[in-house]
Amino acid sequence: MIDRIILGDNQFFGINHMSEQKASALSEKFMDLRNILNVIDAAYDCGIRALMLNTNDRAKGICDYLRENSSRYSDFCLYPSMPYAHKYANSVAQKGIFTTIKETIISGNSFGDIIQLVTKGGSTLFEKDMIKVMQLLVDVEMKMFRGLQVKVIFLQNIVTDLLLGFCLKEIFMAFSDYVQSRYGIEAGFITMNMPRLLELLLESGMENPIVCSAINKSGYLMNPDIASYEAVLRKKSFRPIAMSIMASGAIVPEDAVRYVSAFPSIGSIVFGASSEHHLNETKQLIERYSGLKNNADRVCDS
Amino acid sequence: MIKAGFIGFGRMGITHFSILNSHPDVEIVAVCDQSRMMLNILKKYLSVATYADYHQMMESESMDCIIISTPSDSHSEIIRTAVENNMHVFCEKPFCLNTEDGKRIVENINHKSLVNQVGYVNRFNEVFEEVKKLLEQNLIGDIRYFTSEMHGATVLKDSKSGWRSNRETGGGCLYDFGSHCIDLVVYLLGPPDRISGTILQSVYSSEVEDMVSSNFIYDNGIRGSVFINWSDETYRKPANIITLFGTHGKIIADKHAVKIYLKESQPQQNLNKGWNTRYITDFSKSVRMYVRGNEFTRQLDHFVSCISGNTLNNTIGFNEALKTDIIIKNIIIDANPDQVKNADSDSVLLTDMQPKAKPMWRKILNGRGVSL
Repeated sequence: MIDRIILGDNQFFGINHMSEQKASALSEKFMDLRNILNVIDAAYDCGIRALMLNTNDRAKGICDYLRENSSRYSDFCLYPSMPYAHKYANSVAQKGIFTTIKETIISGNSFGDIIQLVTKGGSTLFEKDMIKVMQLLVDVEMKMFRGLQVKVIFLQNIVTDLLLGFCLKEIFMAFSDYVQSRYGIEAGFITMNMPRLLELLLESGMENPIVCSAINKSGYLMNPDIASYEAVLRKKSFRPIAMSIMASGAIVPEDAVRYVSAFPSIGSIVFGASSEHHLNETKQLIERYSGLKNNADRVCDS
Repeated sequence: MIKAGFIGFGRMGITHFSILNSHPDVEIVAVCDQSRMMLNILKKYLSVATYADYHQMMESESMDCIIISTPSDSHSEIIRTAVENNMHVFCEKPFCLNTEDGKRIVENINHKSLVNQVGYVNRFNEVFEEVKKLLEQNLIGDIRYFTSEMHGATVLKDSKSGWRSNRETGGGCLYDFGSHCIDLVVYLLGPPDRISGTILQSVYSSEVEDMVSSNFIYDNGIRGSVFINWSDETYRKPANIITLFGTHGKIIADKHAVKIYLKESQPQQNLNKGWNTRYITDFSKSVRMYVRGNEFTRQLDHFVSCISGNTLNNTIGFNEALKTDIIIKNIIIDANPDQVKNADSDSVLLTDMQPKAKPMWRKILNGRGVSL
């Protein structure tokens, strides 16, 4: 069961889709890991038990903290999203895609894995089996989560949407199969093109896929348009997770939560907050509107 | 159906492929790249013809347009060949390293009805489009001063390998970041009449500059500074910031927000006296397929729309992109007193650019009530 409320992590890493100034201020605030951990502590104290975490370097420190405090965080679940594309962007620009992937795999895998890689053909492995390369990259990214509870492993939106444009449905299927077989965890997909991705996943035979996308009343980051999102949310069989519900601050929390709560199929909401006040406010709103929604459902059912 | 070919399949080529491959009016028929490994992967996973030699690709394939995302020093030769083969061309920025090549290409392409576009993607960002609109409405009066900055964390150590570390192949912060930063000035204010006080400075790189500062001087009284730094690790992603100071107010804009200061309120535009902030969420337009930012889709859809004849004027054709190439050339000359001999002829280049540029420029500025 995916958590109803998941704390997002964009704010910790200086990501704000609306304003570079706000992003920079957040980045400054959360430069000190302690400030990130304080927010996670506050989230836990107000009853939030889930955190979406992109696999960047700062995430390692968060995972270390959760392991060190495993008794307190024993019921806390992580929802990793990978890869953190910006981590690789400069290396790709300077060294090229293959060198970057090779260096990542070699730096992140054990001696045995590397031997296996070399015996499988080294550089020609890329040509023979991109799926194997993807699996090795997943293993590298998953290392930081060892010993922690992970519920869903997400493919991050830059990669999801790039592959979507290529129509590489076999990679999506392979990602899903691999994380299930290797880690016993379901795969999820983050996208800025939810209706198009969903169509491809359902066509490929994926059942009830987990898709995380921006869902907000102003249609921000919802492509091709808000109407297509609303149509699939009402008609298609999948597990939607809503993010960017406040459109990076452009929508007031109550309006944001009310809009998302009107879609019964949305089982989970990811939201970012950087203060205890905002955490509590948003969590209470989600719970209040979830309750209203459930009451409304009951009225309809009766 | 528009048949497209790709030359160069690195980070930008892959992005453009993903965007165009999902376009309902485009069929990608072939890809050319120097990496055999990449071509083998493409052969295995995609139904496109693959080539290591673009001449061969152009001879063998029937294509309406070509997308060039190769290192900058190869642009002019590939564009020339594509134009000879009557193909519409989208080329990554900067246009041509050699301005004489660029001028010849512009002259040749003007005789043909071929769509031509350079990847100055900031022109398709909704906030910068809004700034352009506000300037055309003369919102902040006569512009007196501007700064155009670009910061990022692309080079954080000395890397001697790769084309980005070599000026001759189009490397260095000036060509890579600077071209975007300068094009934004050309887009909003037109090209300057003179360049002065340029400093090219290394932070980590031994072969190329990592920082650029330069002053732009306009005969109509506008003064401005350009500051570019690709070695600043405080930026998560490359960021452009432009500040425009005018007689009636001030505008500060980046890709996500515009702050407007007005001496008097503008009720018809819903702008108050003092500070007003508008965010990307106010202007953002959804796209049919989002990859790495909707401006990337909007620029390629604009290119396709121009080919289809649905859009008549390409806002960033070769002629417009050449202005940035010429400015970059003059910045390099301004920074190198040793090349003062060449500087004479090259400063003429900057002046040469004006007669072509000025009619459009003058029109815009006159509309804003700026005396020239």
